Amino acid sequence: MADLIIIGSGPAGLSAGITAAECGLSVLILDEYLKPGGRLLGQLYEEPGGKWWNGIEETRKLEKRAAALDLDIRLGTAVSNIEKEDGLWHVYTDRETFTAPSLLLATGAAESPVAIPGWTLPGVMSVGAAQVMTNVHRVKPGSRGVIIGVSVLSSAIAMELNIAGIDVAAIALPKMNEVNKDGANPAGVMDSLLHVSHMAPSKFVQFGSKLMQNDFMKKLGITFYPKGGVKMWGIPVMLRKAVIEICGTEQVEGVILATVTTNGQVVPGSEQRIDADFVCIAGGLYPLAELIGLTGCPFHHIDELGGYVPLHNEQMETPVDGLYVAGNITGIEGAKVAMSQGVAAALSIARNFGRQGLDDILREAVEYVGETRRKAHIQFHPEVAEGRRKMQQYWEEYEAAQERIAPEEPVVEKEVLQGV
Amino acid sequence: MTERILDHSVLGKLDTSPKVSFLFNGKEYEGIENEPIAAALLANGVRTLRRHEESGSPRGIYCNIGHCFECRVTVDGVQGMRACLTPVKDGMVVTGGGQLDAPVRDWRKNNG
Amino acid sequence: MTDKDMIICRCEEVTYGELVETANEYGCNARELKLRTRAGMGYCGGRTCRNMVDAVACTVTERDSKQVTLKYQPPVRPVHFGDLGAIGHD
Ligand SMILES: Cc1cc2nc3c(=O)[nH]c(=O)nc-3n(C[C@H](O)[C@H](O)[C@H](O)COP(=O)(O)OP(=O)(O)OC[C@H]3O[C@@H](n4cnc5c(N)ncnc54)[C@H](O)[C@@H]3O)c2cc1C
Ligand code: FES
Repeated sequence: MADLIIIGSGPAGLSAGITAAECGLSVLILDEYLKPGGRLLGQLYEEPGGKWWNGIEETRKLEKRAAALDLDIRLGTAVSNIEKEDGLWHVYTDRETFTAPSLLLATGAAESPVAIPGWTLPGVMSVGAAQVMTNVHRVKPGSRGVIIGVSVLSSAIAMELNIAGIDVAAIALPKMNEVNKDGANPAGVMDSLLHVSHMAPSKFVQFGSKLMQNDFMKKLGITFYPKGGVKMWGIPVMLRKAVIEICGTEQVEGVILATVTTNGQVVPGSEQRIDADFVCIAGGLYPLAELIGLTGCPFHHIDELGGYVPLHNEQMETPVDGLYVAGNITGIEGAKVAMSQGVAAALSIARNFGRQGLDDILREAVEYVGETRRKAHIQFHPEVAEGRRKMQQYWEEYEAAQERIAPEEPVVEKEVLQGV
Repeated sequence: MTERILDHSVLGKLDTSPKVSFLFNGKEYEGIENEPIAAALLANGVRTLRRHEESGSPRGIYCNIGHCFECRVTVDGVQGMRACLTPVKDGMVVTGGGQLDAPVRDWRKNNG
Repeated sequence: MTDKDMIICRCEEVTYGELVETANEYGCNARELKLRTRAGMGYCGGRTCRNMVDAVACTVTERDSKQVTLKYQPPVRPVHFGDLGAIGHD
């Protein structure tokens, strides 16, 4: 039996596994994917200074360190359930059941869609799917695509498709409806892009920085935003056009674009069809918390972190005894933050396991998470630090309440056991 | 047409060996060993992996990372395998599910 | 195709029209909306559509920010019939 089971071999899980093994714990990592690395694998972009962040290379570095420590990583192993019984975590997979006293959930994020009529047609895929097909499996998702949803992630992936020689005809908004609200509002999307302008391509920044100054200018900017879009890497970014339908019978043949008003309403008669053989849907990311949702761990909805996030502290502990979290399950951020969280989680686990002398490096590791966040090149939400502050506050409120109820007695633990 | 990205300005050259051959819905295709079944099929221009059980609408990969189960196929007799994360092997037999017969659909509607 | 016929839950083929009408008629929260329409009850366990079902429910009810609106249930990955009776060995 291992001391620690880690679910997820993404940047958070791998970094945690390496650190835990370095502290002398025996570690088992489970992942349903066919390669280790999680969503780090598909990442590819130029950092300031001209160096490329190549996810495959970064994964290889982690894999090498893991191999040197003889880490047990089981791929192709999907976890379907977790339960705690008699102080041990039981992890049910499609192959066998594993047990360990400590469990770290590093299951990452999932993509949220926007819905467009025709989006079940073959050839329509999430923008992350196109990224993985292109950069990891090296198969073109198609020869000419349209990306629906304008965000940091979709612009980064548009650029990745571009350098792989795949034609992206346009990046446009989704049509406004009850499920596509935020992503379909031109003024709102423009505002959120300007906040992450250090990530946006220079053309867009040049256009945008003139508008940053005040709300009036912003309004003017979106009003007079060129209908043909502003080009980045030769790809038109259309903030005043929405895809209102995806056309095709057996697979994607094209999309219908229409001009929208500054608040996202379709201008009748402005419809135009463009040909495409694939379509990417970019609706954003949310923490994939389904497994931790089975444990009774409390959740909080924090917009800045991407949705419902399990309650945890900066040492990556949850209120459930022996249960830890790291990476995008705690909020949507880039891979470097995920790695630093993995290290902090592993140090906490080792300390709670009775390893001596870790207090100082754990404190440094927690500080390093904050520092990595401040320096991050990719930011999915401009107010992510505020989201983290909220979570820490919820944690403190929770701890204070626990002390009032019953000192020394973990309340959640009891609920979990009753639920089993 | 979809095709493989053999040369990439940052990621370099693609290693396309060893090649395997496998069956999808009775037809033979070539793939690279251990790439996902869905990638091998897409490289061959195949997008439709199954049809929806009730409506029969065609479906292909959506998330490509194991979350949506849209790519589920039968692999060597095992149902419900995700083509986006199942490595392709030589001689594999893959089939995509079709629309269920009307009586089965009605049963599912009433009992599902 | 109109928005009304647009699919939200891909697994169970539940449409936007069905969800919006049900939400308006019953003023239901996400959980009730799911049970009434089957959206999110299919093969993928609602991983793809849960935020959209949530969004429709939030047009008629307040979001519960302290509790996941659509509760997670095991198994989070479909289990093959052959595996259900399998005994863990480790
Ligand atoms: C599609 C997509 C594209 C992204 N692109 C970028 C980008 O370009 N740049 C960037 O900075 N960030 C990107 N991100 C954000 C990304 O989540 C982080 O950069 C980072 O990869 C998070 O690391 P992690 O270790 O928390 O999770 P992940 O890297 O997501 O790893 C989680 C792992 O857990 C496994 N897993 C999950 N559930 C189970 C289960 N039940 N059983 C077994 N295994 C399971 C998964 O297979 C996966 O390998 C992207 C995210 C997604 C979803
Ligand atoms: S494409 Fe989503 S699970 Fe395979």
